[in-house]
Amino acid sequence: MIQSIIKRDGRVVLYDQNKIASAILSALEASKEGDAADAARVANDVQGELENRFATEAPNIEVIQDAVERQLMNHGFNNAAKAYILYRANRTRAREGNTALMRTIDEITKIDARVSDIKRDNANIDGNTAMGTMLQIGAAGAKSYNEMYLLRPEHAKAYREGDIHIHDFDFYSLTTTCCQIDIIKLFQGGFSTGHGYLREPNSIQSYAALAAIAIQSNQNDQHGGQSIPNFDYGMALGVAKTYRKAYIRRMKEALEDILELEDQMDAVNALVKTAEEETGEKACLESTETFDEAVANMLVGKYPMLNLSQTRRIVATTKKRAWQKADRDTKQAMEGFVHNLNTMHSRAGAQTPFSSINYGTDTSPEGRMVIRNVLMALEAGLGHGETCIFPIHIFKVKEGVNYNEADPNYDLFRYSCKVSAKRLFPNYTFLDSPFNLQYYVPGRPETEVATMGCRTRVMGNTYDPSREISYSRGNLSFTSINLPRLALESKGDEAVFYEKLQYMLELVAQQLLDRFEIQASKHIYNYPFLMGQGVWLDSDRLGLQDEVREVLKHGTLSIGFIGLAETLTSLYGKHHGQAEEIQKKGLEIIGFMRKFCDDKSQALKMNFSLLATPAEGLSGRFIRMDQKRYGKVEGITDREYYTNSFHIPVWYGISVYDKIRLEAPYHALCNAGHISYVELDGDTAHNVEAFEAVVRCMHDHGIGYGSINHPVDRDPVCGYVGIIGDVCPRCGRREGEVIPQERMEEMKKMYPEMPAFQGIE
Amino acid sequence: MTIKTNSEKLGEGVGFERIRRITGYLVGTMDKWNDAKRAEERDRVKHGMKNEA
Repeated sequence: MIQSIIKRDGRVVLYDQNKIASAILSALEASKEGDAADAARVANDVQGELENRFATEAPNIEVIQDAVERQLMNHGFNNAAKAYILYRANRTRAREGNTALMRTIDEITKIDARVSDIKRDNANIDGNTAMGTMLQIGAAGAKSYNEMYLLRPEHAKAYREGDIHIHDFDFYSLTTTCCQIDIIKLFQGGFSTGHGYLREPNSIQSYAALAAIAIQSNQNDQHGGQSIPNFDYGMALGVAKTYRKAYIRRMKEALEDILELEDQMDAVNALVKTAEEETGEKACLESTETFDEAVANMLVGKYPMLNLSQTRRIVATTKKRAWQKADRDTKQAMEGFVHNLNTMHSRAGAQTPFSSINYGTDTSPEGRMVIRNVLMALEAGLGHGETCIFPIHIFKVKEGVNYNEADPNYDLFRYSCKVSAKRLFPNYTFLDSPFNLQYYVPGRPETEVATMGCRTRVMGNTYDPSREISYSRGNLSFTSINLPRLALESKGDEAVFYEKLQYMLELVAQQLLDRFEIQASKHIYNYPFLMGQGVWLDSDRLGLQDEVREVLKHGTLSIGFIGLAETLTSLYGKHHGQAEEIQKKGLEIIGFMRKFCDDKSQALKMNFSLLATPAEGLSGRFIRMDQKRYGKVEGITDREYYTNSFHIPVWYGISVYDKIRLEAPYHALCNAGHISYVELDGDTAHNVEAFEAVVRCMHDHGIGYGSINHPVDRDPVCGYVGIIGDVCPRCGRREGEVIPQERMEEMKKMYPEMPAFQGIE
Repeated sequence: MTIKTNSEKLGEGVGFERIRRITGYLVGTMDKWNDAKRAEERDRVKHGMKNEA
């Protein structure tokens, strides 16, 4: 007689035959093979079998379930047996999933981020804060659910085993990656953040404040980085408004002072307006002589006690003061903007918005004022001289605009080099590279390529070839292929490698389409800012209840890759930095992947593009799995990371020139985004001539997007920014050491700009 | 954050900040980097300006 059974967790509970009968009944009903009476008969036989085998001890759950399967089949209920086996397998998968999930959450909850690698997967999220932890727990739960319920089994397997990496997998069922926010369009007539309505801004300060709010609002509708493609063109409109207001105010004050009159605001307002109507010009930073003369003459007409030479002087002084006011306000606005983006919270406070701003090509006086001042704010750093982490600054380089000495914005390009040599930003995007130039139309800034997040680029548009622009578009999702594994599995056989690559490309394309299906069936109301405010291209043509399917097709589905260098080493014994013939092989592989994307785009009239993946969490994930499979293979799996996308390995000695020359052709192929880095030592980086020479080298070789790395250290105690070895060159202390009070006083005299150090208590 | 009043201990236990580009963006302290990226940063070599080609 069976008295008790042992549960999975080891607890002993009373045996209950009814429970067995009811599980059997569920299986019989699911397969439409029997009723309660049948279930009772099978349950009786299960009990009989158990009694024969277990005289004294208690059976465990697994043994009982095996007996149920056997007895269902003995009774000829084959379909019910299958249903029962499937039910058991699903329960097991769910139980194991839950256990893994609970273990992950346990680690997130209890372990310090400095010790736990999973909590540092994304360096932009502070895994030690309450909201950061909440975000990570949510992400872990979502990933577990998505894998179990949303992925096809073959995709789940490829993802779990590290053949592919589905980026932002926690957001699989929720939203898309990123978007270039056209702030000019957004600000026209004002906008709603989703939490409140904001009027159209009227000064550079409010333009800059709203630009930060736009980034923050959009950050909550998408999971990737947010970007403004036209920062200079957009902010210039704010400068113009600030200038015009200052012009009227300064003129009014001048007249009131000279003529000892009461409030002349209305009179001056009307006068300026008339002058604008008559000349067809605006009171703007660089107004023409015609406009200035018109104003001077009208002033004589309105105030007969003044003569023309006096009114001309008033106009000149007014212009000068208004310019100064606009410049001062722009400076403060840019400082505020940069401070805002480094301190404002988003996504429940877990991180600062991952933001980018693109500028450099607006040659209007207002645009130039914006560019100069935002670079100054970047150069100055934050309150205690800290280097700004956000936004990512991207300077757009273009011949005829800012590249050559005679170009109108060449001075700003030069200045940007000086700033980048100190602060690591701006990065540079090159509009003259053939794959960018093909879209460029002078006078239409939306055709200038712009970058967002780590490197994302969106330009071509197979879905709608009449809209090949960067504004209001972005990436929908991306998945990366573990290239070195394909090479390792091919054991040096090139033909096998290409077969495997083709299979993997098809698998990823299908997975991206499955994800698109989920994204496309969302509605405008799911994205109150991105779609509700018309930020995304053509979303303003849809109603709140409409599906986003069609407009989403302006976005890109991107296939990424990691570790070209290790792949080549595995297949051919060397990487592309070591031999020209291997470079050729590298370009063939990446060219093959690009062609797959182009063909897929044409076949489906959607935008598939190839991404040089920004490997952050991924660089370690793939190689750890591959080390378990293949051991430490020299030159392939013997480090802690795979090399980023198509890069020459970071540890390989190579000249600046060769690195740029070898990586540039991959920029042309990776149309979803790319970046090349050059590592300079501190002395070279601080030599602006040398720094500019590197940027020019990138331009001339057809790099799409590049940046120059060099050490930027800071001693928070004395405020020194530069290269610090073991000893701070300014105050002479080592890490953790105390500065004597008298030394501090001395230094304060020598470096008056030195911030007062606030200790951390 | 409050100002340390004991100025004799100015700087005690305070390290240097080392800002590096992780993957297109910057990170203020390397404490937040994952293990693989830390290893990669450690291995980076400088590129010379001389053309070896």
